[in-house]
Amino acid sequence: MTTLLLEPAPEARAVRTRRPRPWGVWLAGLAALGFGVAAAAPGLLDTTDPLALHLDRALQAPGPGHWFGTDEAGRDLFSRVVHGARPSLAIGVGASLVSLSLAVVLGTLAALGGRVVAPVVDRVVEVLFSFPSLLLALLLVALLGPSAATAAVAVGVGTAPGYARMVRAQVLSARGSAYVEAAVALGHSPGRILRRHVLPNALRPLVAVMALSIGQSIVWASSLSFLGLGVAPPSSEWGALLEAGRPYVAHAWWLTVVPGLVVVVLALATTTLGKHLQAVLERSAS
Amino acid sequence: MPARPRRTLLAAAAALALAGCAGTSAAEQPPPGAGPVTGGTIVYGHQQEPACVFGGWIEQAYLSTQVLDALTSLDEDGRVVPWLARSWEQSPDGLSWTFHLREGVRFTDGTALTAAVVAHNIEHWVEGGNSTAKVWLDGYYDSATAVDDLTLRIHLGKPYPRLAENLAQGYSGIQSQQALQTRTAEENCEAPIGSGAFVVDHWDRGEEIVLRRNEDYTSPPANARHTGPAYVERIRWRFVPDGTTRVASLRAGETDAIYDVPAVDYADLGRDGYTELKHVTAGRPQQLSFNTQRGPFTDERVRKAFAAGLDRRALVETIGRGVIPYEGNGAVSRSTPGYSREAAEAHSFDLDTANRLLDEAGWTGRDEDGTRTRGGERLSVLLPYNSGTIINADGASILQGVQQQAKATGFDVRLVPVPPSGFFAGEYSRPDERDIAVGYWTSVTAGILWVNWRPGTEDWPNGNNAAFYDDPALGELIDRANQTADPAAQEALYRQAQELIADRALSIGLFDRLSTLAVSPSLQGVWQENAQGGPVFYDARFVR
Repeated sequence: MTTLLLEPAPEARAVRTRRPRPWGVWLAGLAALGFGVAAAAPGLLDTTDPLALHLDRALQAPGPGHWFGTDEAGRDLFSRVVHGARPSLAIGVGASLVSLSLAVVLGTLAALGGRVVAPVVDRVVEVLFSFPSLLLALLLVALLGPSAATAAVAVGVGTAPGYARMVRAQVLSARGSAYVEAAVALGHSPGRILRRHVLPNALRPLVAVMALSIGQSIVWASSLSFLGLGVAPPSSEWGALLEAGRPYVAHAWWLTVVPGLVVVVLALATTTLGKHLQAVLERSAS
Repeated sequence: MPARPRRTLLAAAAALALAGCAGTSAAEQPPPGAGPVTGGTIVYGHQQEPACVFGGWIEQAYLSTQVLDALTSLDEDGRVVPWLARSWEQSPDGLSWTFHLREGVRFTDGTALTAAVVAHNIEHWVEGGNSTAKVWLDGYYDSATAVDDLTLRIHLGKPYPRLAENLAQGYSGIQSQQALQTRTAEENCEAPIGSGAFVVDHWDRGEEIVLRRNEDYTSPPANARHTGPAYVERIRWRFVPDGTTRVASLRAGETDAIYDVPAVDYADLGRDGYTELKHVTAGRPQQLSFNTQRGPFTDERVRKAFAAGLDRRALVETIGRGVIPYEGNGAVSRSTPGYSREAAEAHSFDLDTANRLLDEAGWTGRDEDGTRTRGGERLSVLLPYNSGTIINADGASILQGVQQQAKATGFDVRLVPVPPSGFFAGEYSRPDERDIAVGYWTSVTAGILWVNWRPGTEDWPNGNNAAFYDDPALGELIDRANQTADPAAQEALYRQAQELIADRALSIGLFDRLSTLAVSPSLQGVWQENAQGGPVFYDARFVR
């Protein structure tokens, strides 16, 4: 009796999803929108050249005229942060795509590869997993040379093993589910079962993970640039900005704090949105 | 999963907050009544770790000077003074030099310093033991022989009247012949045996080299301030590549002295009571050499346009914060004897001239970025630089300024920071690999022009000729200067060579290379040797 009562009625579920979203999600959405605009059309937010030198205005603290201050050559930091959104997001999204595509392939093979393929894929993932993500990324940068594309691939490959594990678990649980058993009993072909039943159910949680992963990838990519192994200066990519501001950390705090905060805000925004999306998807799935 | 980035971010925020707190505060002064003491360990923060203690690179010269004595030294006025050589003279034809060595000097392996040992060292250098000594001596040096135990004769194929000055460079330290002949190359790399004030105790790669005092030291240079063994017992020569970290370590008391003070910290450290030493190294300054064999800079007008399009002085003075001197002369720095001011002022900032020259050279089109084009080809030039060693953070900022200023006249400068490992392995060294080369080469005389501009031949391409400019007339002029004994006449010839280089815009100067030191007030008596500005700790002692 009690268990029956705890089962949410269809009406109750509908009410819950229509509930007003918490203010954090709105803020995160707003921030993400802002970053999206900065990446798609930086000219809307700032019309100046992010690399223009103003040698008479070097190392000015944030204030009117230069909201985020200026660097050692008088370049406007606000303009650089805005124009840095595109390379930063491109690397973040690119890395997430690389990472999740790899994860889907490796994870599915590991789950369904049978006695020959699955153990091999499992071992490969385990070996990759034994490296810290950043170390794996560093290795790739050393092999391919530093560039934006390398950073995206390096971060993507570096973070893929974790997601591959997740996909494997999801695929395995979908394969063992009643609906797959039913499909097998109905005589559907393995390809069709994979396409129609296993993958859609296994991959749904990945949508949310993708959002989480973008923020994380940007943090990783910024770390690479900060180490001088990401995008070459004078790119306005945020990690490169952090690295460029580092020599001035005791004299011009804004050169490191502002790009650092921007990365924090973006990571928080994508994380919040990702979690929200996850909650929504879980609710709609249950 | 999301917990990890959050933790990283928190750590980053904490690090930032801490860095902010590191701030600036006055250096701790020695207590009243304190006096100089003997003993103690100097912890010295240096920027770059070389592969070996001895060798042809400035970082090696700095280390070698602690461990090896050279034949000569330079005083504060750049005059050559005795070290292992008591005195020296040239034959009237300038073709042989006689060095009279100091008596009773012993290497730390117990063997004696003799003329035969020095002759063996010089032969060892030119046979590949020291690439820098070789390029200096090559074309002049013939052989070295021992006349007697303490008399060395160097025979030259052509006169070289500034040989004694040249041998004062840190690359010219004398090692024990027995050590060179009986120990492995690796042992001589890590811990060469000299007669110097300190001995290599051990080397923790990536961390530090520990030097200990040579208790039997008897052979300081004539410009040292005391005799006998050094005052301090040990030096921990630590490698701290990042300038900000070096400054923080000095302020925190973790180091007693640091090398290469970032321009932005220089004034503050001085104000806060740290002793600061600055040496403008003579020789080639930080300059841009244009590729005269391939690409757009084969056209002199394009080189001149590039130079005229840059406001180098404003750039260097702003980013260098008044510490790094602007240098217009691409051939030698202002502290080099025979420096030409005329060459330094050859290319002033003039956008009209720059644009006119590029139009004349046919670069009249513009693409959507504003980069000039000619017959569909973009005016895009590649400028790779050795990031972290040859070009420090201040230098990298200045190069970004060059890139931006050149954009105004329609150049698309592609900057490529190259890690030192790749750079020293020969990346970007061929004419088809770059359009502009940036870098310095320290020396004590304008004789560096020979190293940098000596024309190559088919069998012997001069890899140090960064502009790939093989001009026999320029080579002959420099060679003649090198052979001229009268200082005034010699300097006039060197100036002529600099003006020719400036006139054809083969190389333009950016800024003078500095050797800077910041020293804690509790350590006194540190000075910079006058060949390259490296730290001398022989006379240093703590005040406690």
